[in-house]
Amino acid sequence: MCDIIWCKKTQADGKPCETVNYLDPYCFWNWKGNINCAHCGTVYAIHMIQGHMYKGPDEQPAGTKPDTSPLYADKPLEGYINYPSGMEGRTRPFHCLPRHIYLGVPDMVKFSIRGKPLRGWRPQPKSAGIAGQFPYNWEMEKLSPEVAAEYKEKIAKGEVKEW
Amino acid sequence: MAEKRNIEINSRADTMDLMNPDIRPWPVTPPPDAEWVMANTYAKRKAEDFGKWSEDNLRYEYSFGKPEALQGFRFLCVGQWRLANKFCAALLCEAGAEVINIEPPEGDPLRQLTPFGREEYMLADKFTGEKCGLDFLHEMRGQKSVTLNLETEEGRAIYQTLAGQMDGIIDEMPPGYMDSLGLGYRQLNKLFPRLVYLNMAVRGTWGPYKDKVSKYGQWTLEPFGGCANSFVHNTGFPQDQLPRGKGGDPTRSGVWFADYVAGEQGANTILAALYWRNVLGGTGQFCEVTGAETQMDILDFDIAWYGFNGSIKARTGAWDPNLNQYEWNPCRDGYMMIGGQTDRLWYRIGMCIERDFPQFGRLIHEDPILKEMGARNALAMLIKTYTVTTRWLRDINRIEAEQKLMEYEIAAGPIMYIDEVAEFPQFKYRPWVCTIDTDHYGTVLFSVSPNNYQMRTPHRVKVLGRPLGFDTYEILQKFCGVGQTKVNELKEKGAI
Amino acid sequence: MTKDLRECRLEDLPGPKSKQELDEMRMPYEDYCKAVFAPGHEMSKPEALKGIRWLSTTMYIFTPHSVANLAELGAEVIKVEMPRMGDPMKHTSPFNEAYLYPLHDTRPMTGTGYGFTSANVNEYYLSMDYHLPEMKEAFYRLIKMSDGLTECYRPGTFDRWKQSYRFVQELNPRFIYVWGGGFGYGPKCFGGSYDILGQAHAGLASVTGMHEFMGGHCTKHSNWCIDWYSGTQITFGILAALHWRAKTGLGTMIEFSQVQAATRVLGHAAPMYGRFGIVRQRWGNWDTQLCVHGIILCGKSDFPDAINPQDKFEARYAMVSAFQDKDFKALCDVIKKPDMYSKYMKHKDRVEGEAQVDIYAELEDWAKDKSRAEVVRILQSEGLLCEPVMNDREVYESEHYRTRGTVRWMEDPLFGDVLVQGTYSAGLMSQTPRRQYWIWRPVGADNVKIYHEMLGYPISTVKEWYDKAWI
Repeated sequence: MCDIIWCKKTQADGKPCETVNYLDPYCFWNWKGNINCAHCGTVYAIHMIQGHMYKGPDEQPAGTKPDTSPLYADKPLEGYINYPSGMEGRTRPFHCLPRHIYLGVPDMVKFSIRGKPLRGWRPQPKSAGIAGQFPYNWEMEKLSPEVAAEYKEKIAKGEVKEW
Repeated sequence: MAEKRNIEINSRADTMDLMNPDIRPWPVTPPPDAEWVMANTYAKRKAEDFGKWSEDNLRYEYSFGKPEALQGFRFLCVGQWRLANKFCAALLCEAGAEVINIEPPEGDPLRQLTPFGREEYMLADKFTGEKCGLDFLHEMRGQKSVTLNLETEEGRAIYQTLAGQMDGIIDEMPPGYMDSLGLGYRQLNKLFPRLVYLNMAVRGTWGPYKDKVSKYGQWTLEPFGGCANSFVHNTGFPQDQLPRGKGGDPTRSGVWFADYVAGEQGANTILAALYWRNVLGGTGQFCEVTGAETQMDILDFDIAWYGFNGSIKARTGAWDPNLNQYEWNPCRDGYMMIGGQTDRLWYRIGMCIERDFPQFGRLIHEDPILKEMGARNALAMLIKTYTVTTRWLRDINRIEAEQKLMEYEIAAGPIMYIDEVAEFPQFKYRPWVCTIDTDHYGTVLFSVSPNNYQMRTPHRVKVLGRPLGFDTYEILQKFCGVGQTKVNELKEKGAI
Repeated sequence: MTKDLRECRLEDLPGPKSKQELDEMRMPYEDYCKAVFAPGHEMSKPEALKGIRWLSTTMYIFTPHSVANLAELGAEVIKVEMPRMGDPMKHTSPFNEAYLYPLHDTRPMTGTGYGFTSANVNEYYLSMDYHLPEMKEAFYRLIKMSDGLTECYRPGTFDRWKQSYRFVQELNPRFIYVWGGGFGYGPKCFGGSYDILGQAHAGLASVTGMHEFMGGHCTKHSNWCIDWYSGTQITFGILAALHWRAKTGLGTMIEFSQVQAATRVLGHAAPMYGRFGIVRQRWGNWDTQLCVHGIILCGKSDFPDAINPQDKFEARYAMVSAFQDKDFKALCDVIKKPDMYSKYMKHKDRVEGEAQVDIYAELEDWAKDKSRAEVVRILQSEGLLCEPVMNDREVYESEHYRTRGTVRWMEDPLFGDVLVQGTYSAGLMSQTPRRQYWIWRPVGADNVKIYHEMLGYPISTVKEWYDKAWI
């Protein structure tokens, strides 16, 4: 295989590794060097030209240092358990991110960055009238008194800013 | 039809003329005709009536037989170097307004710009031999060229006389310049209260980060706007995909994009102000439109997202961080764009790829994470999906990929270069580039106004850019009563 | 004017007429601008498009934005969405992280994603399944009471449903009807389209990004810019049509191809190909027509200790512009390469491809031990044009946009404290400024207001439709 390395290296238990290492298209489109399998660490030498494997993947002797690691790998034969990016020694980290943490799921937000209430959490209590008509105000004190209380505390603690 | 000629090619210079539309007419191969489109496009979807109605009422070719929406509106445009005021004025002209573009006697410096300084890619005036850059020619479409030296008293007096007869003024001079001459909004407004006055700038003519002029007089130009609103920061490949300094950097637009965005919002601002003035009984007013801000207006949610939870948008190359699939990736002969994220489209894309590459189904469709629409947008899932998609793409050309995906009605298309754009059947049928046989510069291929396809008042290109000062005599006679002898005198004095 | 022309009144004379006006004329230009634009006081001024009512049966960004522009300018806009679902864009959010709730009372766990931001502000949200013959009458009532409509369905779909311009012009001859989509009439009429398809298909991507020799690939603009930009051009078409209608009383139909609009920004690409057969290519962070006028990589980030990776790793780029001879000479002196100036004294020489490669390499070499802030400070202190490439946080914190009111906080009536980057930034107007009332509303949030109060259907009918999920 080429844009993926499907590692078949025999493991200590005698079974093949069966990990799919994804070689993402822009990074590896033209690339030469050593890359490790995210699961068993076997190092492969590859030389890719225009997305085609010109040479390799050739298994390297144990102890060879990899030049890089895949960003993502998984094991389709074992329920798709996976290695996301940034697992030391397995996958390479992804640096260019909007925050130092990466969620990938909805962030439950009750206050904007300046500390004022923002309806960014779920579930919200029902608040529509007839046929789904909504009012033109929020009525936070009535619908979410706990957030209103928390907001008062924030004001008292000086955590609410203008900018 | 051009005649066949024997040509000897000894150097690149010998080839320059061969592409001239007079020798090699555009398009090289004719587009499909209306009957073909009826039979192969409209009929296939049982939309013959609709197709016929559309073609009868909206066709490009009929536009010159129809009236113009802004007929009777008149504008003055004063500005140099930038495309924002030119694009704004071009839109107004295409819709039928008259725009007088004021240039200094030596001409707008934009006239001299040409890629890599190649004079051979400029067009020479048939009568004077004077050369003009293509950006200027293309974007100055429809506007009249009048030269005025605003540094002289006579020049300023003429400008003020002209201003009094205009519906609006587009001013893209450096911050406060026209005001310092006594010809800014606050002075003209006292004389002509119905005047709509539009400032255009890169970051603004006022405020702590307004446009600067260098110590030596150089102006602030695009892409300074894109640098000041996070557009550049948010565009480009991440260093995780390409090494930093070798493609993995924040990237500017290939064109002066913020100038175009400012230009169209400038035109909208003027028309809205005039609607209020004319229809709702309002007055003239002062407006300001900048490249940095109008582009920020259309930067999706980027700044707002920071206010939500402190996220600072990172660049994501050719992949979209909000949708999967929605990207382009390399293929055998270029790049192929594929889009479709709802389940209906997502599985259709997969079925198409699986036909050639069965493993796609095993790795993508059967992965439980990828079965949920929202979860597909996670970064790891983009990496996985696009790696396997590209594994398919690398073996096929763009046209093959497009044909295969079209069979499944996927919104997909190759990245095309301008030569391919100019020959793409839809684009020459409609057409969205077209040639115009100009009086001064020969036959020129140009981009058609996208507002050119209307039932009653289609916008249209009547003329491209003009030689410097081409309309000076006409305009000065008409609006100022200054005859040619006087004009010539003023030219001698350097006022025109 | 006075009746007796011999009499001369102060107000007929040019120039300031009161002390206030005199002060205005004496103010520094910037203070004057700030005073007349008066950021923060938009709501107390009239709306430019007061009295215009527009229907929006649109989705995603492109066609919605054509209408949002009108809504910001004061038109009353009714957005029609599918019951319980809403615009698909409402389900779009960067990396699946940012949503505001609720989307609708019946779906408590679903929010509206930030992807929806700015594209549909100030609008009234109506839900209607207009596929149903039962809802046709209500739809026609809306047509009769409105000035225009923007739709984005595949060509012919509204025609099949008997609500295309062919049909509605008979109900309302003043009606302005806009179809916006990928391609318009022609052989690829029914081709679907997205922003990214416009960028790719129309040639914009082919000129954006680092050139192959720089190691790069065709690059996508961030993010749906062609959708937005094309939508704005539809607005221009609509406004021009409104002026024509004011004169003649006639409506029109506009068919607008989003993909084509991307070809329109390519500047000299078409004429250069057409005349010389030269195909415009990408040229990275430099400029094909000006040199020096490009973005350079500096050695160090301005915020090496920041937590956010965008501050920590990316605050390393600066835009340098010194293309005029004197500026270029000064630049060469600053970086201590006076011989570079003697080599490329004329602009024509330095804008050549090889020269640019040479010059930018020297600049980056000079900047390699400096932070972005140092580079900017050194060049600015020499009177040259150089600015940092700013990220979202820096834009948020910029005093400039705060002073001008183009980045501001707003208390949304339903969703609370939101940061607004749009609307005000689309253009300042002294008399009839753009304004934002709300970012968006839940699906069907104005059903009673429109069906009952405007179209006159009894509440019982509205309730019945709602229970049947017709609305």
